[in-house]
Amino acid sequence: MAEYLINKAVIIPTGDEIRSGIILDTDSPMIMQVILSINSKCTVIRNEPIPDVENLIIECIKSYIKDDVDLIVLIGGSGGGHRYSSTLAKDYTHTSLNSILDKKFSTELYGKNGHMWSKLICGKVNNTIIINVPGPYQEARAAIEAFKNSYEENSDDLKQINVSMAEAVKSQYYY
Amino acid sequence: MQEDTKVIVQVDKTVVKITGIEVKGLNIQQLEEILTDKLKSLIRIIGVTGTSIEMDVYGIEEEDILREEDGLIKAISLAEGISVSDVTSLSSVKKIKSVDINSIPDYLEDGCKGERWQNT
Repeated sequence: MAEYLINKAVIIPTGDEIRSGIILDTDSPMIMQVILSINSKCTVIRNEPIPDVENLIIECIKSYIKDDVDLIVLIGGSGGGHRYSSTLAKDYTHTSLNSILDKKFSTELYGKNGHMWSKLICGKVNNTIIINVPGPYQEARAAIEAFKNSYEENSDDLKQINVSMAEAVKSQYYY
Repeated sequence: MQEDTKVIVQVDKTVVKITGIEVKGLNIQQLEEILTDKLKSLIRIIGVTGTSIEMDVYGIEEEDILREEDGLIKAISLAEGISVSDVTSLSSVKKIKSVDINSIPDYLEDGCKGERWQNT
């Protein structure tokens, strides 16, 4: 069982298309539901969508670390799609996390064409666990549910949390 | 403490771009369900602007997707938040090219292996 509860969590959607309202943010309500199923008394904050600008993402994360929240969930920006298609947005979530986290585990998912689809990271700064999930709804749901199960099994095993989340996302591509 | 793992997912996909549309307030989940029902295969929307949609279509060949162009446009018009017009079209349909995973150059922090592979 988890050694401590998540009492305060923050969900941070990223992406210009979310921010501008071109697409609806259906991930955040779903992720909030999963977090509340871990601890029904948890305070969950949904931050306003952050533009795809690395410095803004980093500053946002740091401000919540300073507030000593228990969990930060970043949504989207986990892939490398912009390198494959010039019309896709650049993905800065994992590069932002790389610059912040000292203790971290990550798993990269690649397609058979060698392009990185997603890089999932699980790390910790002080008492704050920080994870990211892919933007597509089904993958985001698989990842956050895997986080819940693994966290409840052993909240200190960040490596296992990361592996479980990556396996859950990978399983979405077998049909 | 840092540890990084790499996983290769072996599936075929075709990248499809639809242009000439207006997008505002799109529910991607709903659109994916509509397209999955239409094509009977996994669909992932990977990029949306105010005038275009880009998606990964898994397990369907380029020519089969092109043959379904009219049906696809009609299907996306059913999604809330999308308006189609006479100029709506499949502007790009490209099947991904497989690479020899064993020959991909060494890892660089935050790099994309496909990009490096293409540059070799």
